[in-house]
Amino acid sequence: MAEIVSLLYQFGTNAAFLLLAALGLIVILGMMNIINLAHGEFMMLGAYAASAAVHRGLPFPLAVLLSAVAVGVFGIVLERLVVRHFYGRELGALVVTWGISLILSQGTLIAFGPFMAPIAIPGGALTVGVYSFSTYWLFLMAICVVLLAGLGWLYKATEFGLQARATMQNAAMARALGIRVERVYMITFGLGSALAGLSGALLAPTTSIAPFMGQQFVAPAFITVVVGGGASVIGGAIGSSSLLSLVETPVSFLMGSFWGSIALLVTALVLIRILPNGVSSLRLRRRTRGARG
Amino acid sequence: MTDQTPPPETSVDGTAKASGPSRRTVLAGTAAAVGAAVLARPAIVRAASSDPVKIGFIEDQSGNLSIYGIQKLHAAQLAVAEINAGYTLAGGPVGPGVFGSNGLYAPKPETLKTDGAALDVVNDGGAPSKKATVVSDDDEILIKSGENGLLGRKVDLVSADGQSNNQLWQRLARRMIQQDKVDVLVAGFASAEREAIRPIVDQHKQLYFYTNQYEGGVADTNTFCTGAVCEQQVIPVMKYMVEKFGPKVFTIAANYNFGQLTASWVRSFAPVLGAEVIGEEFPPLEVSEFSSVIARVQAAKPDWVMTLLVGQNQSNYYPQAAASGLHLPMASTINMAQGYEHKRFKAPAMANMHNAVNYMQEIPTKRNQDFVARFYKMFPQDPYLGQMAQNTYFSVHLYAMAARLAGTTDQEKVRRTLEAGWTVEAPEGSVFLDPGTHACSHYIRLAVADQQQNISFEREWPSISPWWLTRMGVNLIGKPEHKQYTPDDDPFFKMFAAKKK
Repeated sequence: MAEIVSLLYQFGTNAAFLLLAALGLIVILGMMNIINLAHGEFMMLGAYAASAAVHRGLPFPLAVLLSAVAVGVFGIVLERLVVRHFYGRELGALVVTWGISLILSQGTLIAFGPFMAPIAIPGGALTVGVYSFSTYWLFLMAICVVLLAGLGWLYKATEFGLQARATMQNAAMARALGIRVERVYMITFGLGSALAGLSGALLAPTTSIAPFMGQQFVAPAFITVVVGGGASVIGGAIGSSSLLSLVETPVSFLMGSFWGSIALLVTALVLIRILPNGVSSLRLRRRTRGARG
Repeated sequence: MTDQTPPPETSVDGTAKASGPSRRTVLAGTAAAVGAAVLARPAIVRAASSDPVKIGFIEDQSGNLSIYGIQKLHAAQLAVAEINAGYTLAGGPVGPGVFGSNGLYAPKPETLKTDGAALDVVNDGGAPSKKATVVSDDDEILIKSGENGLLGRKVDLVSADGQSNNQLWQRLARRMIQQDKVDVLVAGFASAEREAIRPIVDQHKQLYFYTNQYEGGVADTNTFCTGAVCEQQVIPVMKYMVEKFGPKVFTIAANYNFGQLTASWVRSFAPVLGAEVIGEEFPPLEVSEFSSVIARVQAAKPDWVMTLLVGQNQSNYYPQAAASGLHLPMASTINMAQGYEHKRFKAPAMANMHNAVNYMQEIPTKRNQDFVARFYKMFPQDPYLGQMAQNTYFSVHLYAMAARLAGTTDQEKVRRTLEAGWTVEAPEGSVFLDPGTHACSHYIRLAVADQQQNISFEREWPSISPWWLTRMGVNLIGKPEHKQYTPDDDPFFKMFAAKKK
């Protein structure tokens, strides 16, 4: 019994980790098709902002919200100044966001040194049998569900969501229909940055706050989004993170995290091989793929 | 993926630039072939007294391992500044006559039964309180060298950033050796980095210091490994843990040569110490989320956990384990002493951590506190001064001492001089460089973190020699070698493992 609870908990933390790592990228890569290599650094900025705010006496939830806003604003500035010149040029965007990531991480190292004082993990621990669990991770799992539901609602049920989806599918046609395409891009990039900042801030207590901490999230984030596929980005990310952790969790528990990581990568490979358009293509779609898709 | 930018080359005081014009002038004058300019630097320039002694220095100033590299760089800069200001560490070939002078030591050092193979502990030492002639920790260790610089020349630290990237390490090592023509190379954090550049070092017969604590076993004519090794750390800490907490161990080690080999030492010595390794886990360096590892440890129910976790990502294990309610006693040979996890993580993430270290900045001796004060005077912003930084500091001084005695920076002659058997009075205590194995004896202390993560030293071993390579028959003076031994090469360990069953 305790084993089952423990496995469920591990499954939840693995999936929540993948989803949190992928959250901002779901919007920026999944919707805008910008290969954002600075994604990890956006998360790092979120973690730094949250830690700095907590050190100045702010309560943790407020610090998290504040960092999401701060990183979102930062993302909008970056979009206006740099990224917007690279729409439609995927490789150009890849190089420029990589450059941004180097500047951000090295700049943080120069400005703040090799690490920042940590913040404590909120909440306590629950015990079931020989196992005990962090309540904070249970909270993170819940937050993931809320955030993804919110994101789904925003893009499926609101006016802005409709305009955004139209813009992503065919920017020229959207513009012809009177949608302010530039504005949609700006808000979407800002939203993606804010989400990256938010998840960076949420993960901050569980990790060491350092200039290069973003790198640990980049590979899981890309794997989650790419395996998820473009047909329905949010559903895809949920599907891929569940499938990946479904394989990773038992393998890690029985054979160790080394084999767990291998199992995750092999699963990703196999899934991309048999479902080239991602997990989300399973629930098939009438939506035609966009011109830039 | 991210580490392809050319690394910046820096020098402590910019004097590297000074040699540039003179080199160009000489080359123009001799109309040397253009190709030769990079490969062969005219001897006349090298001999000139204005030309600095070049200490090549590669560490990770960025990337996953930067948290360690920056301390080491700063320690090397301190040593170079002291050499240029006319100071050296006390010590010399075969030491100051005896092994240390006045100091505090444990009145009843541990002794082992000589009969049988069980190696049972007879007594457990006791509080270090008695004054006797073992180790000097009161005397000033920084003394006048009699000259500013080295051999009438300024010492220049030519440093580069390895960016935690093994391929870049190889390029930098080649550049330092072939282009900068460094007189000595001091480099390497991770064992993977050392093994990446050691073939290049050997190819060019480059005098090389590796200053990290590591898994041991490197027997290389050109390499001096001045950090502590497994027999100096793993055995003392395991013995303590088994006595105090029980025999069942769970090992969590970083999945590369350091972690694998150190875990193999733990496994090999377990039967000798009456311990039992009931589980092992080798997370890759990229892993940063540890719920499965924590669950495996909880399921195995060990008495204590051996953590050999390396890098930014893996140090996340500690806060995550603490938040999950996993509060088992922990032991390590690296954590706290180099990545200062006890300063970086909120208590009680590191509570009940035990590490047999050769250095931590908390060591209360006067010689160490003087050293710590000197370090923070030069680098007031630095967060910690750890084990590897101290090793780098005394190694740079040791090189200067040997070159001064040899009267030259000729690498072969300096190496031979180092093989005279040196004692250097390091901040940790007296360190002895063994001629035959190029490894150092160390003053080992058992550091323990309490619930508030304050460090105390519960046991001291004033000198543990790196005996294992000697046991393997390594004598680099008589027989040049360029290999790394592993515990599998030693039938000793298998013998005990077999006997157990």
